[in-house]
Amino acid sequence: MKMFSEGAEAKIYEDELLGQSVLVKVREEKKYRVKKLDDEIRTLRTKSEARVLYRASKLGVRVPKVVAVGRFSIYMERLGGKLMRDSEHHPGIFTILGTMLGMLHEGNIVHGDFTPANVMLDGGRVAIIDFGLGTMSSSIEDKAFDLLLMKRSVDAKMYSLLEESYSARCKEAKSIIGRLADIEKRGRYQTRTLM
Amino acid sequence: MAVIGIESSAHTFGVGVVDDGRVLSNEKEMYRIGTTGMIPAKAAEFHVKNSAAVIARAMKNAGVSARDVTGVGYTRGPGIGPCLQVGELSAKAIADELGVDIVPVHHGVCHIEIARVLSGLKNPVVLYVSGGNSQILKRVEEPKPHYHILGETFDVGVGNMLDSFAREINLNPAWGSSVEKTAHGGKYVDLPYTVKGMDFAFTGLLTRATELVATNSKEDLCYSMQEVAYSMLCEATERALLLTKSKELCVAGGVAQSTRLKEMLKNVADEHGMKFGFAGNEYNADNGAMIAFVAERMLKAGMHSRMEECDIEQKYRTDQAVLP
Repeated sequence: MKMFSEGAEAKIYEDELLGQSVLVKVREEKKYRVKKLDDEIRTLRTKSEARVLYRASKLGVRVPKVVAVGRFSIYMERLGGKLMRDSEHHPGIFTILGTMLGMLHEGNIVHGDFTPANVMLDGGRVAIIDFGLGTMSSSIEDKAFDLLLMKRSVDAKMYSLLEESYSARCKEAKSIIGRLADIEKRGRYQTRTLM
Repeated sequence: MAVIGIESSAHTFGVGVVDDGRVLSNEKEMYRIGTTGMIPAKAAEFHVKNSAAVIARAMKNAGVSARDVTGVGYTRGPGIGPCLQVGELSAKAIADELGVDIVPVHHGVCHIEIARVLSGLKNPVVLYVSGGNSQILKRVEEPKPHYHILGETFDVGVGNMLDSFAREINLNPAWGSSVEKTAHGGKYVDLPYTVKGMDFAFTGLLTRATELVATNSKEDLCYSMQEVAYSMLCEATERALLLTKSKELCVAGGVAQSTRLKEMLKNVADEHGMKFGFAGNEYNADNGAMIAFVAERMLKAGMHSRMEECDIEQKYRTDQAVLP
């Protein structure tokens, strides 16, 4: 298999399955971790990521479709387009993203690393990728962190568009955004600079 | 020419003398934490009693007299208020008495800079781990040169967590190195592992380990707690290294004294063919030389302060400190 990209969490390879071009995300061994902990983390995260991707897809949010799952690997649909981080984008994208995140949170899916590095843009089509830190969770705090990560990474005006459409789609939005304000008030993080 | 540096942010009163980047002396007295941890007023009292003697010893061992001194630096923060004040006042007394420039410095930046320069790294991703702090940083030039915080603890510093657990199981002295010693021969038991992107949290781990004290051996818990906490730090650091496409990794701060942590981080760096650097333990533990080291660079860059501007800041954030 040819390497497609290398992240801290996993390596992604290009492959073909039944004539379809797929990406294979493999969580390889981390030698610094004791084996039991490492195996547990890798199995759990693989299983949870596959489940989250499947659920998100069922909710109607555009994510890579899962084709097959191994103990440490996920075979998934290969999406076209470019990362939001690396491309020019229209403010309308933020409105779409807000709706998509609202749908995920309504379905109790938390992304865990919701930043422009994990959004794919293909023309006007938006997809959310890399649910490697994703969980099924109804926790207000977890949901608020999804908003927080995106808020830290993008322009304040753009973020407000996202928050607006998010609020329209997610019933608990008010308390989640309230919690976000609480998190930002926690002493250590008030002044954190942006890169 | 010589610059004196004074460190007093926590239990150590340290004084170092540096000349042109060379450390001439590095003297200290440490308040003994015993099994109770640090009592701020008592630690400050300890520093007051020892300050004059440590300053005199550092100058004598460096072979410098009052005439040779061209500047003085002290820890502005972060740290314990009463302790910081002793260092501030000592530095002001020296500056006033000798008529030399004074500069307040950031404690964490000093740990990082001396480790970075001594290990020959240019612009590494830095894991700064101590009692009160656990941060992943990288130097950024805009708007002013500073260490940008890529990730950090959501609650307590990793050292603080280990110290709390050491007190919980009555280790003496109650701090991280005692946990590391007790960990030898321990077996792994499941404990919560909390990483969110490049950030992490330690209190859940501490709470769970404390609950398990009744039913598990100290050795197993110390071992597992350390393995889980350091694995969390390694995972977040690895993510930062790849995100910033960095080729260098540096670890600094009190917890960087841990052999196990350095072994794990070296493994992360090796895996990606990156350079890995750290300072000797005399600079990972709190010390005055690192303060003098950074103070000298700042004074050379014309960053001295007016006496009336010199203060302390208990919650001085790493990214608020301007670098020379």
